Amino acid sequence: MAVDTTKNPIPFEMAQIPGPEMAKAYPVKVIGAIIKKAKRPLLVVGAELFDDPIMFDKAIEIAKAKNMTIAATAHTIKGFIERGYTTNVYQIGLHPLTNYLRFKDWKGLDGQGHYDVVIFMGIFYKFANAMFSALKHFNRDIKRVSIDRYYHVNADMTFGNLAFDSAGYHEAIDELIAILKK
Amino acid sequence: MAKLEGSFTVEDMKNVQINIGAVVKEEEEWDQPMGPFPKPQIATLRDWDFKILNRYKIFYAPADDTCTLCTYGPCDLTGNKRGACGINMEGTCGKIVLIACLMGTCAHTAHGIHLYHWVMDRFGDMKFDMGTDILYDAPVYQTIIGKKPRTLKDFGEGLTYIEEQVANLLAATHTGQEGSYEDFESKALHASMLDHLGMEICDMLQIVAYDMPRGDPNAPLVEIGMGTLDQNKAVLIAYGHNLAAGAEAMVYVENNKLWDKVDIGGVCCTAHDLTRITEAGNPSILPQNLGPKAKVAGAIGWWRKMVRAGIMDVVMVDEQCVWCDTLKDCEERKIPVIATTDKIMYGLKDRTNDPVDAIVDDLVNFRVPGVVILDPMKAGEVGVKTAIAVKPKRAEIKAKSVLTEDEFKKLVSSCTKCNECAFVCPPHIRISNLMEEAAKGNLEPFSSTYEVCVGCGRCEQVCRQEIPILKMYEYANREYIKNQKFKMRAGRGPARDTEIRTVGAPIVLGTIPGVIALVGCSNYPNGTKEAYDLAKEFVDRGYIVVTSGCMAMDMSLYTNEEGKTIWEQYPGGFDGRNICNVGSCVANSHIAGAAIKVATIFAHRNHRANWDDIADYILSKVGACGVAWGPYSQKAASIATGCNRLGIPVVVQPHSVIYRRAYLGRTDVPEDWVVIDARDGSKVRIEPAPEHMLYIAETKEEAMLMMAKLCFRPSDNSMGRMIKLTHYCDISLKYFGKLPDDWPVYVRHASELPLAWKDQMMKELEEKYGWKIDWKGKKIVEGPIRPADVSFDPTNIERKIRVRK
Repeated sequence: MAVDTTKNPIPFEMAQIPGPEMAKAYPVKVIGAIIKKAKRPLLVVGAELFDDPIMFDKAIEIAKAKNMTIAATAHTIKGFIERGYTTNVYQIGLHPLTNYLRFKDWKGLDGQGHYDVVIFMGIFYKFANAMFSALKHFNRDIKRVSIDRYYHVNADMTFGNLAFDSAGYHEAIDELIAILKK
Repeated sequence: MAKLEGSFTVEDMKNVQINIGAVVKEEEEWDQPMGPFPKPQIATLRDWDFKILNRYKIFYAPADDTCTLCTYGPCDLTGNKRGACGINMEGTCGKIVLIACLMGTCAHTAHGIHLYHWVMDRFGDMKFDMGTDILYDAPVYQTIIGKKPRTLKDFGEGLTYIEEQVANLLAATHTGQEGSYEDFESKALHASMLDHLGMEICDMLQIVAYDMPRGDPNAPLVEIGMGTLDQNKAVLIAYGHNLAAGAEAMVYVENNKLWDKVDIGGVCCTAHDLTRITEAGNPSILPQNLGPKAKVAGAIGWWRKMVRAGIMDVVMVDEQCVWCDTLKDCEERKIPVIATTDKIMYGLKDRTNDPVDAIVDDLVNFRVPGVVILDPMKAGEVGVKTAIAVKPKRAEIKAKSVLTEDEFKKLVSSCTKCNECAFVCPPHIRISNLMEEAAKGNLEPFSSTYEVCVGCGRCEQVCRQEIPILKMYEYANREYIKNQKFKMRAGRGPARDTEIRTVGAPIVLGTIPGVIALVGCSNYPNGTKEAYDLAKEFVDRGYIVVTSGCMAMDMSLYTNEEGKTIWEQYPGGFDGRNICNVGSCVANSHIAGAAIKVATIFAHRNHRANWDDIADYILSKVGACGVAWGPYSQKAASIATGCNRLGIPVVVQPHSVIYRRAYLGRTDVPEDWVVIDARDGSKVRIEPAPEHMLYIAETKEEAMLMMAKLCFRPSDNSMGRMIKLTHYCDISLKYFGKLPDDWPVYVRHASELPLAWKDQMMKELEEKYGWKIDWKGKKIVEGPIRPADVSFDPTNIERKIRVRK
């Protein structure tokens, strides 16, 4: 039976209660369908992947399944280089990336155009939360999706908290990969 | 009536009231003409602010979606909607940023105001003399006010100016006043410039009055760490930022020869300033070389750890970064508290006018948990007497304050692993894992996360089992606490003029790759060791590394393989491959001051009342980068923003998102990167240098890369650019496993390519980027944004154009 990613939808830092518009936790199949349907999705991965290195491999699988660009924030690019994955992955800080994302005239990391869906994974919670907030307020054309192990209150779509269920989280990501591969 | 000598004589006058207005002084001896902007008002430097903000886009990440500042609220501003008063989300964020910067400015300036009055009372007016090595003695003051203070009393004019500006700035935050986020940001830049002025005044007052080191690279090494406080003596802790009362406690101990009975330690910036007292060797009414007799107990992040470790008998609090539950924590452990300024009084009774012995008696017998004493001398005497008398009475309580093995085990077994604590822990420590391991007898996770824990105590607030988690940390780390004994160089104060003369040209040309200023509190994303790692990386690379405040303390807690702290590994000068501790929070003004002095001493720019000209010079030519890795306070926000108005970019840690705003450049918009060549007024497109003005890094590795990058300046000569590019590329290879993608952007000439990768890079420029290369001459023929030009004189200010084309 698939893992229930809608459970425990409270902000991972409990006091992060922003206002009337808060994220909804969705099952993997719904999030998978949204990503699959996206025209130009961008997978944004952060340095927490180093804490659970198998997630690098899963990020690569996700990107390959959807032919999706990866934005590797902080020093995350190192993990991809170590795995020999260097095409369609860009090194950029989360802060300047979000700054570019809020401008509608930005042409994207590859110069091919803006993105319609951004998907965050493996980013320090408070920082990711704030960057989701920036997009929530200042570029509402982009759909904000979290496939991290935390409930992300400022996303449009997120998993519930799976921070203390590593196996369950891995299972959810594997299910997502399977959906994207279909 | 007595005959008074002076500029006029008064004799035999009765019932005559004489009002004396401003005293007009003799013409100042200063070879610089008055600049265009003495005592700038809110709108005076707005054009300069907008130049910064046009290049570095204001970026907001709102921490909440609503505004609740007036009775119309809460207004939902989601998606940049407008509230009832008409303000939108951008405006609200700008307003909050301004308020935060004003908090910081007021905290430092109010500290200065207190010291100003106290110094006049205690020492009388004194000549403002920074010694023969510092003739450019108050660079921030002179750049803003346009005057040279001759005596300490003269600084009063600067304080009055700040008060007026702050009143106007705060008025602008009232509902219905300012509505433009750009103008809120200009006001925040103004407020934060004032912060640097307030800080400089504050530190200059104490340097002169307390005869602290005046730019001494060999300031003494002082003791730091909880283990340095001798538990055989009574331990008095001075906690906060204002040395007045703590210094009097030290004077009392010295004059009464009580050092064999009492140890005095400082927490947070008061610790810095106590260890600086009377080290300069000038005549003083205070005992000589008093500073090194005090210990630095630790930075603010260690406070709750210290109080739980049971290392103190009395606490004197003064002002600023003093946690609001200090009285509660101390009362629970029967540690008497003395509040010594009116900024923190905790509801305690004001005993300033009571006899010393009566106050001591009440404190020693625990009739009251604490008292307010606003006279620093009396507070110092009461603190010492209470510490000595209460120590034996506290022996039993002290013994009980640390857990026993049985108590620890019982607490471990009471954890239900609900993980509520992990949901609120800032650095995300998985406390339930610690408990699980401790149950197996493995305390290593408790030890390895001790320095990662920021000591906030939020875990205890949510624990359903009411487990005193911080107390458990103290038990698990009791041996470390006993042995936490290190050395830190005492705050040396400003850079000397001679040091600036030596490093001015190498900084501007780029052959010293940059000045890195490490400031901030103890809210690190991943532990205090990051402070040491950041410092060491850049000192080793030959940068000038300057530090202050709690970050200077935290980096002292680590040693190299030879057991040497960073202060014992490197000299303390303002020079490459040196590390200098300028002092406490208010000494951060010397970092701005050093940048100003490069402009005025090295480049002979007139700094008098000439902020924008100096800032323009720094932005284009002085490769400096501030780093606030671990800031928690609004003071850090105003320090950083003040640096930004002076053209110094700042990198901050991820928790800083809670202050909402950054200034970020767009490298994809070429027109943002156009400057004027002051030689002829022509417009020149430059490389994005510096690329950002206020930047949040996710990890220390990213911070390091950005620090190196933000030291690039358009004025770098080719040798300097090559050196800077070498470090930028090398850091990238070391931590990212590859060269940075944007290295070609910074290449103007083949001689700027790092030697280690020169051939590989030239090939890549040709093949990947389409540059034309003359392989015979090993030259770049075509490709760079602009050619290298040693006499290029970049500016952003029209009035700096010398001859128009």
